Amino acid sequence: MDQMATAPGTLADPGAGASSVPPAGAASTAVTALRWLRRVSGVVPFGAYIALGMVIPMIAVIVGAFQNPDNGGFTLANIRAATHGTYLHGYWESILLAIWASILPGIIGLLIAYAIFTAKRASVLRQLVITTSGVFANFGGVPLAFLFIASLGGGGLLTGWIQDVLPHSWDGSQLYTLIGVVLVYMYFQIPLMVLIILPGLEALRQSWREAAENLGAGSWQYWRYVGGPVLLPSFTGALLLLFGSSLSAYATAEAMTSGTIPLTPIQIGSFLNGNVLPGEVNFGKALSLGLVLIIAVAMLFYVLMQRRSARWLR
Amino acid sequence: MAAVSGQARRRRSLPVLRRGLWRWVILILAAMYFLLPLYAAARFAGIKAYGALISQSGFTTALWLSVRLAVITTAITLALMLPTAVYVHLKLPGLRRVLESLTILPIVIPPVVLITGVLQVAPGPLKSTPYLLGLEYVVLAMPFAYRAIDAGLRALDLKTIVEASNSLGASWSRTLMQVIMPNLTTGLLAATVLTVAMVLGEYTMASLDLYTTFPVWLVTNDQSSATVTVAGSIFSLFVTWLVLLLITVVGTRRGRRTGRPVSLFTAARQDNRD
Amino acid sequence: METTPETGSALSAGNGSAGRSAAVASGAGIAFATGSGGASVALNGLTRRFGTVKALDGLTMNMAPGELVALLGPSGCGKTTALRLVAGFDFPDAGSVLVNGTDISSIPAAKRDMGMVFQSYSLFPNMTALDNVGFGLRMRKTPAAERRRKSAELLDMVGLGAQAGQYPHQLSGGQQQRVALARALAIEPRVLLLDEPLSALDAKVRLQLREQIRTLQQRLGTTTLFVTHDQEEALSMADRVGVMRAGQLEQIDAPDELYARPATPFVAEFVGVMNRIPGELRDKDSVRVLDMMVPVKGSSAAISGSRVDVLVRPEGLIVDVTEHGNGIVITRTFLGSVTRLSVLLSGDVTIQVDKPSTIAAAIPPGMSVSVSLPSEPVLIAPRAA
Repeated sequence: MDQMATAPGTLADPGAGASSVPPAGAASTAVTALRWLRRVSGVVPFGAYIALGMVIPMIAVIVGAFQNPDNGGFTLANIRAATHGTYLHGYWESILLAIWASILPGIIGLLIAYAIFTAKRASVLRQLVITTSGVFANFGGVPLAFLFIASLGGGGLLTGWIQDVLPHSWDGSQLYTLIGVVLVYMYFQIPLMVLIILPGLEALRQSWREAAENLGAGSWQYWRYVGGPVLLPSFTGALLLLFGSSLSAYATAEAMTSGTIPLTPIQIGSFLNGNVLPGEVNFGKALSLGLVLIIAVAMLFYVLMQRRSARWLR
Repeated sequence: MAAVSGQARRRRSLPVLRRGLWRWVILILAAMYFLLPLYAAARFAGIKAYGALISQSGFTTALWLSVRLAVITTAITLALMLPTAVYVHLKLPGLRRVLESLTILPIVIPPVVLITGVLQVAPGPLKSTPYLLGLEYVVLAMPFAYRAIDAGLRALDLKTIVEASNSLGASWSRTLMQVIMPNLTTGLLAATVLTVAMVLGEYTMASLDLYTTFPVWLVTNDQSSATVTVAGSIFSLFVTWLVLLLITVVGTRRGRRTGRPVSLFTAARQDNRD
Repeated sequence: METTPETGSALSAGNGSAGRSAAVASGAGIAFATGSGGASVALNGLTRRFGTVKALDGLTMNMAPGELVALLGPSGCGKTTALRLVAGFDFPDAGSVLVNGTDISSIPAAKRDMGMVFQSYSLFPNMTALDNVGFGLRMRKTPAAERRRKSAELLDMVGLGAQAGQYPHQLSGGQQQRVALARALAIEPRVLLLDEPLSALDAKVRLQLREQIRTLQQRLGTTTLFVTHDQEEALSMADRVGVMRAGQLEQIDAPDELYARPATPFVAEFVGVMNRIPGELRDKDSVRVLDMMVPVKGSSAAISGSRVDVLVRPEGLIVDVTEHGNGIVITRTFLGSVTRLSVLLSGDVTIQVDKPSTIAAAIPPGMSVSVSLPSEPVLIAPRAA
C-alpha cells in the first residue's frame, strides 16, 4: 500500500512540477532519473566534446604508460625508464626551471602590481600597465624565442651593448642555458603575475589600512600583521599557477634549446616524431603521466589557495 | 591656532613623494626589460626583412592555414561554449563549480601531452587532415573562452532577462540570439579574440602533428634566413598586440567599469605560447 | 574664537591619564574611566578642497568631554571629510583640530590615539575577533596575557564573549560592527569616531546597535563624533546634532532644539517633516498666510520680494471640520498614536497635518476642513518654484 504522505485531496502526480509528491518505489527512481537526464541534456554536447577531445586522449596516455608496445601487456618498464637516467634529469631540470621561472617573476610581478595598485582606479598609468600586461602575457613561444635570440644571442644587438660595458660577462651563449630560458620565460610570466595578483592586491581594502593606522600601526606593521597574511594565499596561488605554466611550456624552450637542455616536455615531444627505439615507444607516455601528475598537484594546491582566500575576503 | 595647518600639509607630501619615485623606478626598469629586446630584434631584422617576409616561399600557405584553423576553432568554441555556459547559468547553477573546474583541466594538461594522446586515438582519415588540429584547439581554447563568456554572463542578471523574454513570447533560439548575445558582445568578442590569438601562435601541437602553421613555418624557415624569421616573429607579435588592442578598446568603450579588462586578460593565459 | 573649557592638559602626556578614575560602575575590573575619560575637541575653520570642489568650508565647532555629537547631512555635505580630518587620514588646507587644547593637525593618524569605527568591512579578515580587538594593544606593546584579558572583557562588554575565536567572515554584519566597536575602545581612546557605522546593517540590527553604542559611550564617557545621514539615528543618539550642508555647519544644537527651533529653512526641512505653505510678506515682521497675519521668526532680510513659503511642522497646524473650509482631506494615514492627514488647500498646495488618532478618526478623506496656524512666529523661506 502506498505509504507516501500525500496531502488529503491532492494527487501524487509526477508531472505536476517541483512541488508535487513523487510516486513511490521503483517508478519514482526512474522518473527522477529521467527528469535529471532531461535537465543535464543541455551540457551533453560539451561533455561529449571533452570526453572525445580530452578525456580519451588522456586515457590513452595513461594506459600507454603502462603498456608494453610489443605485446600490449601491462608493464612498469616505461615508468622505470621515465624515472631514471636522462629522463629523471629532465624532470629535475624542468622543475628547477619552473621554480626559478615562477619565483623570480612572482616577486617582480608583485612589485610592479604594487607600484600601480596605489594609483587611482581610472588612472592612465594603471590602465596602460594592465593592457600592456595583457598583451605581453600572450607573447611567447617561437616568436619570443627568436626575439631574444636576435637581441641577446651570439650576434645580438644587446649582447654587443653589454659587452661594451662589461666585457666577458655575456657572450650570448648563456641564453641557451637554464638561466637564459628563465630569462626568456620571465617575459610572459611577469605580466601574467601582474594580472593575477592585481585583484588580490585590490582585495586589500582601504579600510583595513586605515583601521590599522588608526590603531597605531605603521606601514611595516600593517604589512606584517594584516596585508601580508591576507595576500599570502593569493600570492602562493599565483606562484603555483606560474609554476604550472612553466612546466607545460614547450615551444619557447624548443625553439631556443632544441634539446640541448633536457626538459621533460621536449623529451615527450621527441617520442612523437623522432627516432624511437622499438622498446621505448611508450616512454613518452610515461613521461607525460609524470608531468601531468606534478602539474595536477600544483594546480590542486592552487585551487585550495583560491578557495581559502575567497573565504576570508567574502 | 589656525597657523599650523600648512605644516601639516607639507608633512604629508614627503612619504608620498618617496613612494612615487620608487614606483617609477620599478616601472621604468620593467619597461626596459620588455621593450629593449623588441627594439633590438627589430633592428636585427632590418627594414628589408619585412618585405622579404611576405615574398618568402611558404609564408602565405602557412599563414592561410593558421587563419583557417583560427576560424574553425573559434566557430566551434563559441558554438559549444556559449549555449553550455548559458544553460548552466540558467538551469544547472550547481554545475557551475564543476564546469569551472573542468575548464581548468586543459591548463593542467600540457599541449605536448594532449597531442601525444590525440595522435594515439585519432581515427586515420581525420589524422591526415589539419582539421584535427582545429578540433583539438577547441579544447585548448576552452578555459579562456569559457571564462570570458562566464564573466559576461555574471554581469548580466541572466535569469531575469530570460524570464522577461519568455513572458513576452520569445522562443528559446530567439531569446538566445536577440536578447542574450547582444548583451554579451564584450565577452564573446574577448572569447573570439583570445581564441584567435591562441591559434595563430600555437606551435607545440602543430609541429608535432607535422602541419605547417605559421609558427611552425617560422621555425623551419629559420634555417634559411634568420632576419626574415625575426621579422616574422615581430610580425606575429604585432598581430597579437593588434588583436588584443581590439578587445581593450571595445571593452572599455562598452562599459566604463574598471576591473573588467583585468578579468578578460586573466583569462588570456599562456598556452598559445606553446 | 571660543576657548576650550579644559585647562591645557598636554596631549602628549600619555593617553589622557589625567582625570581617570578606577572603574566602579561596571564592576568588570576594566580600568576604564567612568564619566571623565573623554577629551574636548575643537575644530577651527576647517577647510578642505578636492580640485575645484570645496568639501569643507570653514567648519568650526566644539565638543565637550564625554559628549556624543552627531554630524548629520545629505551626501556630499562634508561630514565624512570632517571626520577623516579629525582622525588624521586627511589633512586640512586651512584650519586646525585641537584635542584638549593642543593642536594635533600635524600628528599622523597612527599617533592620535583615537578609536574609529568604519562603515563596514574594517575587521582584519585573517584574525579572530579576539585578535582584532587586541590589535591596538599589540601595537602599543601590551604584553600578550594582558592583551587577551582586556580583549575578552571588551568582547563581553559588547555581548560577543562567546564569539571571541570566530573570524570576521563567520560573523554577521551587526556582530562585526560590535567587534569593530570593541576594537576601537580597546585602546581607551579619548575620542571615538564613528563613520556611518550602522548604514550597512538592516533595520532591526541597526536599532539594537544604536542603543548599545549609546549606552556604552555614556558609561565610558568617551567624547564621540558620529557621522550619519539618518536623522532618526542622529536625533535619538546624540547629545547635540550638527546639521551640515555644502561643507558648512548650518546649526548645532540638542535634538529637541533642532527640531523645535530650526535656525534655517534647510535645517527645518531636513530634520523631520516640514510643510511649505505659500504666503505674502507684508512687512519685515509679518506674513499673510492661510488668510491670517502671523509674525515672522528671525529676520526676513535675506528674502527679496514678497512671495514666500511659510514652514510649519505637521503637528503645528490647527485643523477643524467646517462646512466651507479652505481645504479638503485627501488621504488619512494611521501612524499609531498619531494620524497624518494630507490636506489639499486652495491654490493646489498639499500639506501634512498630524492629529491624535482618536480625533482624526472623525475626519475621513473627502471632508472639508479649515486649516489655520497658531499666532506664533513662523519660519519663512523664499518661495519654491
